[in-house]
Amino acid sequence: MSAASVIADWSAPNQERARRLLETYPEERSAVMPLLYLASLEHGYLTSAGMTQVAQLTGLTSAQVQSVASFYTMFKRDHVGRYLISVCTSISCYLLGADDVLAAVETETTARDGTTSVDGAFTVEHVECIGACGGAPAVQVNYELVEGVLPEKATALCKWLRETSPDVVMTDAMQKSFGGVRSFDWGIGEEQGAVAPVPAFGPYGSTGGESAR
Amino acid sequence: MPERPPPEMVTITIDGREVEVPQGEYIIKVAEDLGTYIPRFCYHPRMTPVGLCRMCLVEVETPRGRLLTTACNTPVAPEMIVDTESAVVQKAQEGILEFLLINHPLDCPVCDKGGECPLQDQTVAYGPGESRFVEEKRHFEKPIPLSDIVLMDRERCILCARCTRFSEEVSGDPLIEFVGRGNQTHVITFPDEPFASYFSGNTVEICPVGALTAKPYRFKARPWDLEAIESVSMVDASGASISIETSQNEVVRINGIDNDATNHGWLSDKDRFIFQAVNSENRLTAPLVRDDAGNLQPTSWGEALDRVADALGSVRGDEVASIGGANNTNEEAFALGKFLRSVVMTPHIDVQVGDALNPDFLVGITPRAEIRDLDRAATILVWAGDLKEEFPTLYLRVRRAVTQMGAKLVVVHPRRTGLDDLAAAKITYRPGEGPEVVRKLAAGADADYAAARELLTAGSVTALIGLTGRAEDPRLAEVVAAYALDLPGAKVLPLARRGNVFGGLDMGLAPTLLPGRVPVTSESGRAELESAWGPLPDAVGRDAAAILAGLAEGEVKVLLLVGADPVRDGRNPDSARAALAAADFVVSFDMFLNDSNQHAAVVLPVDGFAETEGTVTNVEGRVQKAYRSMTWDRLVWGPERDGVVMPDGPGIQELQYTPDGGGVRSTAGRLALHSGRVLYDAGTRNVQSPALAALVPDPAVYLHPRDASALALTDSQVVDVTGEFGAVRLPVRIDATLAEGSAYVPANLESTWMLGVPDVVTIEASSAEEVAE
Repeated sequence: MSAASVIADWSAPNQERARRLLETYPEERSAVMPLLYLASLEHGYLTSAGMTQVAQLTGLTSAQVQSVASFYTMFKRDHVGRYLISVCTSISCYLLGADDVLAAVETETTARDGTTSVDGAFTVEHVECIGACGGAPAVQVNYELVEGVLPEKATALCKWLRETSPDVVMTDAMQKSFGGVRSFDWGIGEEQGAVAPVPAFGPYGSTGGESAR
Repeated sequence: MPERPPPEMVTITIDGREVEVPQGEYIIKVAEDLGTYIPRFCYHPRMTPVGLCRMCLVEVETPRGRLLTTACNTPVAPEMIVDTESAVVQKAQEGILEFLLINHPLDCPVCDKGGECPLQDQTVAYGPGESRFVEEKRHFEKPIPLSDIVLMDRERCILCARCTRFSEEVSGDPLIEFVGRGNQTHVITFPDEPFASYFSGNTVEICPVGALTAKPYRFKARPWDLEAIESVSMVDASGASISIETSQNEVVRINGIDNDATNHGWLSDKDRFIFQAVNSENRLTAPLVRDDAGNLQPTSWGEALDRVADALGSVRGDEVASIGGANNTNEEAFALGKFLRSVVMTPHIDVQVGDALNPDFLVGITPRAEIRDLDRAATILVWAGDLKEEFPTLYLRVRRAVTQMGAKLVVVHPRRTGLDDLAAAKITYRPGEGPEVVRKLAAGADADYAAARELLTAGSVTALIGLTGRAEDPRLAEVVAAYALDLPGAKVLPLARRGNVFGGLDMGLAPTLLPGRVPVTSESGRAELESAWGPLPDAVGRDAAAILAGLAEGEVKVLLLVGADPVRDGRNPDSARAALAAADFVVSFDMFLNDSNQHAAVVLPVDGFAETEGTVTNVEGRVQKAYRSMTWDRLVWGPERDGVVMPDGPGIQELQYTPDGGGVRSTAGRLALHSGRVLYDAGTRNVQSPALAALVPDPAVYLHPRDASALALTDSQVVDVTGEFGAVRLPVRIDATLAEGSAYVPANLESTWMLGVPDVVTIEASSAEEVAE
């Protein structure tokens, strides 16, 4: 089956991204992980159909693709809310009150850790270190990082997400309104943001800068 | 053949012993060859090592001091110093076992593996004796069916990856894989994509714990109650070595035995589970004779044998004929042939039934390849039935040669085969146009054939040649072989499928052959045999088709069916049935009633597979012992023969390469039938084995998309397929891998056999909505 016919039901930009990804690597199977993100973006999360499509694109079996997908926690194999709130509970954040942050997020979003809220707006999860120990406690919204998020800031952040329902979330904007101490204040400004609960990478990413859905 | 140079030797020290070992070999292997067993779970000699289970840790001297390293994937190097039993190694082994047992249940008393379990055995031999783990073990729902045959108890799994590596590396259908991470890692299939592999049973056999079990054996017996004997699988003619395991005089399990010459220890699921037919309740247990009302009635052996003797005595010798014998041992075949030729005095003997290749070709072609030649071939040509369906263990050998030994593969077939993904060149042709393909390959003018031709002329070629389908003209194989033998360094392995068909031919169960591959027409050969057997008929006999024709014409009056079913296996079911009805007397030797023998005058029940003892000859001429005592590697057939009887003397026929195909049947302008065999067909033994009966695929007719649209047919539409010999109603499957202008109907599924094997078929949309059952 040709690559085009396998993903004929994908949006045109995602089909084009898949085509470019497959050309990037000498072996098609090397594209399996970026393609899994792309399939997640296309279907909202990584569906069985999405894994089978990636298998057909890369010449692997669905079982092999499932093996890769299930190893990594960032491939979501169940429905994800519009905003994925990832609360870091590793050591620095934990010592600075990550439990309270998580509790505040759970209360505001009505989604318990590891679940999605009934209205489908939020998925809440606790995660291991996200590399922001200097700005603990840290939180990600659709993998866009916000640092120095104390419990009341976290509540405000979730409230803002629900009330304004932004199409694109951006690190710098959220940091300004809801963040506190940052690890690296000299970092360059982020112009792009996330449009979906899928990590934004390079040319195929889900960033608002390249192509908002 | 060019022998590979012997490996360079290096000197290493193992446990204080200085030894010379081949460079590049893994420590675990050289230690084992020297008599030092290093415990292991994930290491398997027929698969690439991965160093996953860590059980094989040994101490090796390095510039950084003595380090623990895995013996399974560390190659030996000059001056290496290895310690396999130091205190550090022992502590490591105890630690690994304690870790493995943290999550492994101690349910050995109810586990099928208990008693033959590497984890159990090695815990006793190398384990710590007690565990410090007091927390609760992991639990999983159990068991999970991975397929119709294989079940998975995940909590027992120690994540050695033997099963997943087998399915990726050896059988090439990685439908099972690790899922999850850390403590929750387990092996499973993709949802709704079962582990439907022809080779799934091997994973059960190599599982080092009781995580994988097969339904036919699960909870059936305990290993210490099993009696195991070494034998040969008769599912196909590749001669796979097996261990038949019985409990209370019933076969409960078949395992593979690692035979370097044939199967490397691997079996197809058909090899492994076909034994269920032997235990079937439908087996014939008493002789049956036809009563005055025309019904078969059980009777005594004396009565039944009297009737057969009377029938044989009431006609001339050449009015008697025999079909079949490919499920019998060489000794049985020899006795049958001697009886028919020297007592009954008939030459009409044929061990082959519907898919006959010229017996002179099968036994006489030279230079003949061994299975092992696949490992050394530069190019492998497969112009035969789909090996995955017809010769599954041979398929694994070809797969290994291509994926690991660097051979290039050329496949010629009317449709997609299981080997296509490995092929460097594939030629798809319409049935009937085979000679054209040979001509183009030989001439080399056609650009489409350039790749195949280049590979075939590049180096030593091993050619596997047989019938691609039952509708194929058998003479094509000879044309192909004649072409192949002109290729550089060529050897040919002619393929005929049935269990001991080559033994039958060697023992003279062929119209043209006397025992020992002597042509009937050889005066000197016959004279030599007559000096031992007395006078023999001197005519060339009838083959199976001519025997059936002779019955219809009244020239043959008494027929012996030796495990044969010409109604199902011949080209024309109706005429075969009519021929059997026209016979004066038909006697059948069989384990079951079938479409042919249910109209016989006498049916004699016979011993089946695993119940008889003797020798069996495989496709390469290798003679192996089936059942008890002597085994394949001890059987000596004379110096430098290595157990393989190569053709020599008067048996060899000159094969003429006829570029025009010399009268090979043509199907030009019509829809040619491709009647390919499938592994799980509706043959008696499959149907009588519950584990396999469930796997028989639904019948269908496969059409090329352009042919389908020309006929205005769509996928799953019900059509009437009509040929010269019969008609059958089937759903359409669109199949772009088929040659245009042909129709593929899998042979001998429920209903498809009624079509017979015509050269061409016509296809019309059926008025009925449903496929007739």
